[in-house]
Amino acid sequence: MKAETNLSTGIPNTWCPGCFNFSILAGVKNAIAKEIAEGKKKEDFAIVSGIGCHAKIFDYIHLNGINSLHGRVLPVCLGMKVAKPNLSVIGFSGDGDAYAEGMEHLIHMARFNPDVKYIVHNNQVFALTVGQPTPTTELGYKDKTTPDGVKLMPLNPIKLMLAANAGFVARVYADVKQIEEVLREAFKHKGFAFIEIIQPCIIFHKDEGVKEKMYSLQEQGHDRSNWQEAMKKAEEFDYNNAEKIPSGIFYQKERATFEDIFLRYR
Amino acid sequence: MRFSILIGGKAGQGPNILTQLVGEALVNKGYFVFYSRDYESLIRGGHNFNTLTFSDSESYSNDSVIDIIVALDENSVKKHKDKLKKGGIIIEGSGKDNMYFAGRLFKVLCMDFSILEKELKKLRNFDENLKNSRIGYEEETRACIVFKANKGINGRFMNGSSGIAEGAIKSGMEVYYAYPMTPATPVLFELASKKDKGSFKIFELENEISVICAAIGSSAWGMKSMVGTSGGGFDLMTEAMSFAGQAEIPIVCYLASRPGPGTGVATSTGQGDLNMARHCGHGEFFRMIVAGGDPKECEELTSQSFYFSQKYKIPAIVMSDKHLAESFYTIGEEAKITKSEKTMKAGRYNSYEHTETGEATEDTEITKKNFERRMKKAKEIEKEAGKFEQYKIYGKKTSKNLIISYGSTKGAILDSISGKDAKFLQILYIEPFSEKIKDELKKAEKIVLVENSATGMLADLIAEKTGIIIKDKILKYDGRAFFCDELSREIEEKIK
Repeated sequence: MKAETNLSTGIPNTWCPGCFNFSILAGVKNAIAKEIAEGKKKEDFAIVSGIGCHAKIFDYIHLNGINSLHGRVLPVCLGMKVAKPNLSVIGFSGDGDAYAEGMEHLIHMARFNPDVKYIVHNNQVFALTVGQPTPTTELGYKDKTTPDGVKLMPLNPIKLMLAANAGFVARVYADVKQIEEVLREAFKHKGFAFIEIIQPCIIFHKDEGVKEKMYSLQEQGHDRSNWQEAMKKAEEFDYNNAEKIPSGIFYQKERATFEDIFLRYR
Repeated sequence: MRFSILIGGKAGQGPNILTQLVGEALVNKGYFVFYSRDYESLIRGGHNFNTLTFSDSESYSNDSVIDIIVALDENSVKKHKDKLKKGGIIIEGSGKDNMYFAGRLFKVLCMDFSILEKELKKLRNFDENLKNSRIGYEEETRACIVFKANKGINGRFMNGSSGIAEGAIKSGMEVYYAYPMTPATPVLFELASKKDKGSFKIFELENEISVICAAIGSSAWGMKSMVGTSGGGFDLMTEAMSFAGQAEIPIVCYLASRPGPGTGVATSTGQGDLNMARHCGHGEFFRMIVAGGDPKECEELTSQSFYFSQKYKIPAIVMSDKHLAESFYTIGEEAKITKSEKTMKAGRYNSYEHTETGEATEDTEITKKNFERRMKKAKEIEKEAGKFEQYKIYGKKTSKNLIISYGSTKGAILDSISGKDAKFLQILYIEPFSEKIKDELKKAEKIVLVENSATGMLADLIAEKTGIIIKDKILKYDGRAFFCDELSREIEEKIK
């Protein structure tokens, strides 16, 4: 595929062989390639990453952008939008980045509603620092720093984003097609889009049947404009254990963006 | 000749509006006027006071003794009557508003009522203010013999915060991000009041981390960006200063100090952040640091920070403190603004050590080469800074007694050394530090450091840069600025 090559930097990839980040990379590139095929230019895009395994994606996508600091992806995205309101900005974070170090930015960015697409690679573990628990790690998880196992219930980011009034809230599995589709939907949405990708870490946090438990909200006819329904669906999976895990777009409603309110387009 | 007025009252009684009004009227008459604000961290009540000194010649500081006390409440008399000079005047009266006191003060100062009327036109509630001030003017029967003004001055009356804001606007700043913190917030007030006429935007974000990261994002995509904060907020920004150092993205940061550690004395003044600014952020990278001593220098140095920051893609810090940020000075000359080109455009930037195309690298050769390139850049900055006034010398040029300082102490030092066998070396560029300062220090027999801090950090800097150890230090760390009369005695003691 021509567009695919076009978006590659050619840098040797250092993710573990078989890492699900490859699926995320492919899904994201496919979605961007389609946007470009439909008339957008490469220069219309910018990518921003945090720090962690996910952040290496910056090195593998040939687009302008900033590989920023751990937890600081969203304010950097916002600053870029202030400079170039029409820029299509995609932020990448891990679960440590988004839910631990950068939590305050996540909540406020949902409130500010800049037209930024935010992808969280949630593998429920700090992988690049060799396996410590994050705010979304399940009870009982053990590693060298937590020999007695995790004792705190994980955070539910979907509920948090709904409560913070995010205009686009989605969760998908680390599957190329799912990612491509949800990102394409997010591009159509005017405003902040929160996309969480449930991504097994093949070294520190294996799948354990998560994929099989996931079902599509859209196939079930979920009404994505209904906030209360979205909240109910969000409660089906508490990130600790679940019978079934909803996947797809929980909620979508457009409202005035940060750019609409504060930036006059030049 | 100097004359001092203390105007005190509760927060909410309007001592600031009154002081500003009197100050502007005196400047318009041709006096040199300086006033500082002393207020508590509360919104209504408490005790706030401003000390205004006016003179027929250059004057940039207050004295510890007072000629007139204007007491908007009883507490103001109680708190300050010990400072009143023999034969001094107290203007008091209960249940009256600030404009009534304005009337009485103008009468005492032998200023025509028409001048007050003209000043009142700048404020809201003109009719009511005019009525109340006229009552005060007519009730007051005392008058001081006041010296004549120097009509030729024609000065601007401004504080350090407007200097910073003006400097930023004139440098073509396009965006200012901040989170409120005293004493940096007045710059935000200034910019907010001018944003609709200017071509810049201001944003208040969720914290100082977000503030500086957003500024870096904007800056990378070509915007001239600036942030402002005080010590505690700056602590939070330091990680991103280091990021800017690595990614080579320009950023101008305004750092307005107050006494720490911790929350410290929130509405007081101090110069305790010099070492923090010099060493902010992890890793080895060049941080430009400048500090003006009056509003005009704040304006000029802000424009120079934009110049160096853009040209060399570095973080630059403009330092000030509560005393400079919030005191009003009479400025005779216009500031010289240094124009700066915009240098940034969309590209690939990285907080990791990186290749020329922006990808993270762990390669030893590239790492070494990048360090060397950044260090070479620092040398170039050092060289180019030589074209600017990195330090200034005042007073008796041939004197062997050298007073050295930086920042807001300038006013009190200038006023104190007047007529003494002493000269004053004011450092404007902390980094890059001028090599010539060493020669100046060598010429002196006695070097005295003056600093609004408990340890005298400028001496550390000088020792590091020149090898010269300064033993004589005049330090003040009670949260208040130096008084001219007290400092004058202390300097005399050191140089006798």
